Amino acid sequence: MLTTNPFAVLSEVVPASLLQIYVALMILAVAVGTLLDAFHKGSAKYFAQRRAKAAAMARRPLSGGDKLSLAACTIGEAAVSGEFCKWPRRVSHLLMMYGFIAYVVTTFLMVFCYTVAAQTPPIVPALWTLGALMVLVGGLWFFFFLRVNVAYDGDPPLHVGRADLFILGLLTSTGFGLLWKIAQAGGGNSSVSLTLFAIYIAGTTFLFLAVPWSKFAHMFYKPVVAFQRRVEEANGSTDLPTPEAGRLSRS
Amino acid sequence: MALRSTNRTKFVDADILVVGGGFGGCGAAYESRYWGRDLKIVLVEKANIERSGAVAQGLSAINCYMGMQWGENQPEDFVRYTRGDLMGLVREDLVYDIARHVDSTVHKFEEWGLPIIKNPETGRYLREGKWQIMIHGESYKPIVAEAARKSSTEVYNRIMVTHLLMDAKRPNRVAGAVGFSVRDGTFYVFRAKAVIIGAGGGSHIYRPRSVGEGMGRTWYAPWSTASAYGLLIPTGAKMIQMENRIVLARFKDGYGPVGAWFLLLKSHATNAYGEMYEAARFEEIKQRVGKYAEITPMPTCLRNHAMLEEMKAGKGPIYMHTQKVLDTKEKEEIGWEDFLDMTISQAVVWAAQNIDPKEKPSELITSEPYVMGSHATCSGAWASGPEDCAPSDYQWGYNRMTTVEGLFGAGDTIGGSAHKFSAGSFTEGRLAGKAAVRYVLDRRNESPEVDDAQVADLRAQIYQPLETYRVGRNEIVAGTVAPGYITPLAGLQRLEKLMDEYVGGYTTFYVTNEPLLNRGLELLEMLKEDMAHVGAEDLHQLQRAWELHHRIMTAEAVARHTLFRKETRWPGYYYRADFPKLDDPDWHVFTSSQYDAKTGQWEMTKLPVHHFV
Amino acid sequence: MPTYVDMTRCDGCGECVDICPSDIMHIDKVYRRSYNIEPNFCWECYSCVKHCPQHAIDVRGYSDFAPLGHKVRVLRETEKGMIYWKIRYRDGREKEFEFPIRTTPWGSIKSAGEYEAPDLKALSSPMLAHEPEALHIDALPTLPREKKA
Repeated sequence: MLTTNPFAVLSEVVPASLLQIYVALMILAVAVGTLLDAFHKGSAKYFAQRRAKAAAMARRPLSGGDKLSLAACTIGEAAVSGEFCKWPRRVSHLLMMYGFIAYVVTTFLMVFCYTVAAQTPPIVPALWTLGALMVLVGGLWFFFFLRVNVAYDGDPPLHVGRADLFILGLLTSTGFGLLWKIAQAGGGNSSVSLTLFAIYIAGTTFLFLAVPWSKFAHMFYKPVVAFQRRVEEANGSTDLPTPEAGRLSRS
Repeated sequence: MALRSTNRTKFVDADILVVGGGFGGCGAAYESRYWGRDLKIVLVEKANIERSGAVAQGLSAINCYMGMQWGENQPEDFVRYTRGDLMGLVREDLVYDIARHVDSTVHKFEEWGLPIIKNPETGRYLREGKWQIMIHGESYKPIVAEAARKSSTEVYNRIMVTHLLMDAKRPNRVAGAVGFSVRDGTFYVFRAKAVIIGAGGGSHIYRPRSVGEGMGRTWYAPWSTASAYGLLIPTGAKMIQMENRIVLARFKDGYGPVGAWFLLLKSHATNAYGEMYEAARFEEIKQRVGKYAEITPMPTCLRNHAMLEEMKAGKGPIYMHTQKVLDTKEKEEIGWEDFLDMTISQAVVWAAQNIDPKEKPSELITSEPYVMGSHATCSGAWASGPEDCAPSDYQWGYNRMTTVEGLFGAGDTIGGSAHKFSAGSFTEGRLAGKAAVRYVLDRRNESPEVDDAQVADLRAQIYQPLETYRVGRNEIVAGTVAPGYITPLAGLQRLEKLMDEYVGGYTTFYVTNEPLLNRGLELLEMLKEDMAHVGAEDLHQLQRAWELHHRIMTAEAVARHTLFRKETRWPGYYYRADFPKLDDPDWHVFTSSQYDAKTGQWEMTKLPVHHFV
Repeated sequence: MPTYVDMTRCDGCGECVDICPSDIMHIDKVYRRSYNIEPNFCWECYSCVKHCPQHAIDVRGYSDFAPLGHKVRVLRETEKGMIYWKIRYRDGREKEFEFPIRTTPWGSIKSAGEYEAPDLKALSSPMLAHEPEALHIDALPTLPREKKA
């Protein structure tokens, strides 16, 4: 069951081409949503202005090699969610981050590349299941215990607000995705399994269409900003004190 | 914010309950543990003791240190100094008691990790002035909080104590306190054999000079909400010197400290034309206060007075000539650290207004008035003094116990005990802590008896503002204006305006008189009535509502004491225009009030000022 | 707004909510990040600024009297026991300072209860804990009896 490609099984009633169009549309939704968010709000313009100001105040020019190494550091830190200072948040984020990556990549592979069940390498659906589980575990832990408004600001664990669009989309998509797979393993493309599939698709669509209003796009913004912060520290334009840079200047 | 937990009640039993985790409360917790090894010591704080209280940012100096080990000062000298600064009216026993112990407090602070700056030539603590020493004090509060946290049995952060509980069986005896969690709304009932109040004095009693965002930049912390008095007055504890509100001359707007500039860096203040004005005012001051004009150093209030007269004469702005004294890198660092360790906003003002202190002078101004007991002022509770040296009418058994049995105080809470500052407040906490342990051990078999009906009634009162808002909000579409309730901010601003205009705030140059005071009390009465209709949108606003209750209680005490004292004892703090001179024959006394919560009546009396040092 | 939170740096960890003495750092409902809900009760104490692990909080001086364009930024390094300040004037001048904040390791203070327990007879003496040794003089001063009123 773990190693069955559920999309291939589904293609008996829903044509594979339809699934491919859907996935392509969702990818487009993310791109359009992110760009809309960045340009309509003016946040892209703000960021460009900030970058220009920092470049003007730079004390030490950076070479291409410098920037490459800063980028590598940024990616390296993001890869281990090193930006988190508290271990429960860090662990839950690692679970959700890698779980989501596995979930999304394997979905793409199964819908586009391995459309025949028997020809799907077993590791792919296994990783899809594992990824969904990781998102679910990390996400439920985060939702009920770690969300800062619950942990620090007195909101009850079931409280939801606009800030929860992304986590709710993730939990619905992965939760019902897994339920659908289990139901399909038991009874093929039964009405129960197809109903669960419908809810899974609804949740997944919500997850990707809500990008302009949810925290989804943080996965693009945060690394860019982290890189910019490293650039500012390296080229001396940061407004934070820099004791490591040696002798502090005093006018 | 969650409201569902307003159903939940948590009972906490303690031997000693310390209310307020500032310097007074932390001292009380520490010393209580030393003497009461197996006592349950509970500390409750409305914020987080790590940074709560007036020392949140840190301090750049300790203003109360004798240096007895080097023969620099003796406690008697300190009594004479504070007596002079307060124009004769201090509790000499309480001041002496702080002065003789404070050195051990400071030495413990250094042992705990507070960096105290040394004089490179003598190896002693670097003196800012006769009583003050310089410190690298950015983490002063976290260091002290660590000692208190370790010594307490339990520390409750984010619980606002709103009322004290009186014993149901024993008259005039405290039994505990009630309050609520600012985070989840849980109702807390503390039952304790002794209660030590280390809560804050009062900022935002009077309209501040800055009224937009700048309202936050009061000289004393905005979270010092007069709970020390607001908790005590309703119990019927005797209060003294509530008219002794303090006005500070500080750097304008940012209210940065001036002590290091005057005393250590030897800077001077002049009017806008470069003229030194204090000496020129001597004769006029002598007309007002007689021989007190000759006190040296010049009392704080009289220095204010000279500056005010200069401003009224149109000779402002008053300038501190920082540019004349920063001739070395070391001095420049001292000047900046002075602000960065305790009033960062003044550094922000310099950066924002392009003021480099090496090049330009900075403006000074007198602040709006504050009501507190740990600075160059001593409003607060009438408390029993040290048994070995207090006059018999100044003590009734337990050091720092108020006139309510089992109810102790430290820091801003205690009246007549001026010039404590941080180290002195911690020391007073220690004194109260030890006395409270003795009190508890003397009554080992007694347990406080809390009146369930009173608790239920208080509980309903505490959460009422949430309900008032919830229901009253239905009358309007949106916004803050509703005919059925006022927000806590609206109530606060009304209080500040009426105190300013009628009880000698800065807009009147601190002048009031009997007709003004009576009119102020009338308006205050209507505000008190309106407090039955204060509406709190959430738990944060509920905290603001109860802070306002404490401030209003305090403000009424201030107005009544000001009415009672028919003289101008401290020109520069405030003036009774109808009694403009100092009057020793009738008024060389403490003013005292006692409030009866059942009848709403205030009884005003005089208490003697004894001089024996 | 006296303190403000940088949108790009706050990751919603809650340290500022926990530390603020004024109870004014709270979580925004849209972004689930922190912000200052009541700048007119902000003392600019910098507690949140110093405690934020991402250095996401900064101060813009009160609009009543602080013109724009200034920065007073801080780095508090508890392991080193030091604090570092960088001040940028409105006209671009910069100053940096560093000061010590503690001489002992964090967590190293002994509870009062860890000292040898005092003889409870001493409860009736005027001496406080660690005295007279901690006074660095031989005996606690007292007033001669004749001087009492």
